[in-house]
Amino acid sequence: MSIELTMPRLSDTMETGTIIKWNVGVGDEVAAGDVVADIETDKATMEMQVFDDGVIAGLLVDPGNQVPVGTLIAVLAEEGESVEDVSLDSNGTSAAPAAPAAPAAAPPVESKSVSAPSAPRAATPGSGEKLKVSPVARRIASERGIDLVLLKGTGPGGRIIKRDVLGYEAAPAAAAPAQSITSPAPLTSGEEPLSGMRQTIARRLVESKTTIPHYQVSMSFDMESLVDIRAQVNERLAPQGRKVSVNDFIVKACALAISEHRYFNASFGGDRVHFHAGINIGVAIALPEERGGGLVVATIRDADRLPVGDIAVAARALAEKARTRGLSPEDMSDSTFTISNLGMFGVDHFTAIINPPNSAILACGAAIEQPVVRDGAIVPGVRMTATLSLDHRVIDGAMAARYLQTLKQLVEKPAMLLV
Amino acid sequence: MTRTIEYRDALNEAMSEEMRRDERVFLLGEEVAEYDGAYKVSRGMLQEFGPKRVVDTPISESGFSGMAIGAAMLGLRPIVEFMSWSFSLVAADPILNNAPKMLYMSGGQFGCPIVIRGNDGAGGQLGSTHSWCVEGLYANVPGMKMVIPAFPADAKGLLKSAIRDDDPVFFLESERLLAYKDEVPEEEYLIPIGKALVRRPGTDCTLVSFGRPVHFCLEAAEELAREGISCEVIDGRTIRPLDIDTIVQSVKKTNYCVVVDQSWPFASPGAEIAAQVHAACFDDLDNAVGRVHSADVPTPYASELEQEYLPNARRICEAVRATTYNA
Repeated sequence: MSIELTMPRLSDTMETGTIIKWNVGVGDEVAAGDVVADIETDKATMEMQVFDDGVIAGLLVDPGNQVPVGTLIAVLAEEGESVEDVSLDSNGTSAAPAAPAAPAAAPPVESKSVSAPSAPRAATPGSGEKLKVSPVARRIASERGIDLVLLKGTGPGGRIIKRDVLGYEAAPAAAAPAQSITSPAPLTSGEEPLSGMRQTIARRLVESKTTIPHYQVSMSFDMESLVDIRAQVNERLAPQGRKVSVNDFIVKACALAISEHRYFNASFGGDRVHFHAGINIGVAIALPEERGGGLVVATIRDADRLPVGDIAVAARALAEKARTRGLSPEDMSDSTFTISNLGMFGVDHFTAIINPPNSAILACGAAIEQPVVRDGAIVPGVRMTATLSLDHRVIDGAMAARYLQTLKQLVEKPAMLLV
Repeated sequence: MTRTIEYRDALNEAMSEEMRRDERVFLLGEEVAEYDGAYKVSRGMLQEFGPKRVVDTPISESGFSGMAIGAAMLGLRPIVEFMSWSFSLVAADPILNNAPKMLYMSGGQFGCPIVIRGNDGAGGQLGSTHSWCVEGLYANVPGMKMVIPAFPADAKGLLKSAIRDDDPVFFLESERLLAYKDEVPEEEYLIPIGKALVRRPGTDCTLVSFGRPVHFCLEAAEELAREGISCEVIDGRTIRPLDIDTIVQSVKKTNYCVVVDQSWPFASPGAEIAAQVHAACFDDLDNAVGRVHSADVPTPYASELEQEYLPNARRICEAVRATTYNA
């Protein structure tokens, strides 16, 4: 039997891939582990390895072409097979329409060593996902104010066809959000096309906000001790040119709190809840305007086991990389809980949208000096308000409150964070 | 009132009625007189109209079609019968290079009101040189009209219109349809050139065809209806001028279109119709226009191969399923 090579899913959000170049030609022998092609995903250009030995019998997708994940792109002849026989076969096979990979509910991050990460689908940069839409589907969607991003295409290559639009309308539950996501009013004074990242953000967050039953729980934290400890630490680190941010402590605190509240490290899976092995904290990073803006979520792996100083180093490196070269898929995959912090902008408090398949996201405001009541007297204090957004399918209000209590203890008595 | 007659008799009636009506009309071709026509289309016409108006010619298509074109330029209304359009290829210069251009080249002084008719398409194991579908080649030429009826009533009404038309009309019949029987009105009638007809109304996919494959389409539509796919079958009846409006109206309703054309695919009337539908219905299409043609090879002689080569009902069904995403 010949071996079929399909477009691999090289990142969590990847739905299509572009063959940048083939490193092999028909008739070339390859061994398992050989890099046969360079593939551009929605985030980065990656190498594609083969997992079998064989001879390349057919390359079915030309460089520069974009195909859905799962599409047959090459065929290997196994030992004992002739290339001619196999390539005939493969031509037959490739004529069949490629089944678009169904982006099912993301499976859990079983362990950090999983080679095909498939956990969080962060808003990510990249070449942009072109939406394939039949003309009449586009017209009907436009007439009825349906956002095509919300539709799942069932035509060849994931093309959105008429029945997908009509089917979306027919589904009463899904029809509601469509009303609010209509085209802009005729008062626009200009427009710009969405970047690939912005399209991904739009698609992902609409999906999150419309499919996850969000609710929020807020708590105020006394930050005096933490701010004090941070000052002490930074004073000692300053000569090395290093420093630790309030957020680095919060990453550590959230991770430690998660180790006591396993539902905060879980994903909704339809008929079950998936628990994840590692506690990987995603940190939202805003990208500078000159890089097109937008945001990405970088992953700090096993944050519960990392010292705060290491978290600080990792966070700094990821932020720097995100703002200059761009993050790799690896940098952005597998987060199990996300923190978004707008404290540096002086924001008091805000709410965030869950980054699927996470079950929770923490939105942190600034640690602000304010009058507080202590022992019956009004004295100066430092307070931070943090707001959890939660997936009610996984986490109930009381569970959220207990998590925040744990977090409050860790933040307000921060010695544990340094252990 | 109607009665049921064969396609060939419908042609005979059209010619005979027009010859009674207009003494300028005459028929010429190989074996049209003494032998009643190689396919018995002109049966009895020699007796009625005499040898001056029903003329047997030598086997010389280039010669007699050129002569007829001259007669048309000087005011007569000739009907040229080619035993097969396959034989018209040797007369390409008169029929393509002269007749369609005469009105233009003479600055409107004289046209060429000629009808050229004969069997077109695979007749059934006639081999590749005698199975020509000339519509792909000839419809490319401006200045003429091309009619390709699929049913006896259309054959009669359209042939009468063709004889009265002031432009050269290429009238494409099918050997396989000559014995086809259907209802034809008793009373005199004309069918205008350039008007398509919805043969079978439907909602899910527009099937466009002309000539013999219209019958394949109706057969396919019957089968597809059992699968829940309702096809609207449009019988184009005329290739030039093309009634694109009727096609567009249907495609705007169904959002899918499959064109069925017995020509070879490359640069064919089917390709032209697909291009026009894409342009006119762009925002109404849910998929690219599907096309079913004769296979892109010389017509095979073996009967099984020939059947498979033609745009038969099975191939039409497959194309409709694929185009409507029901494959």
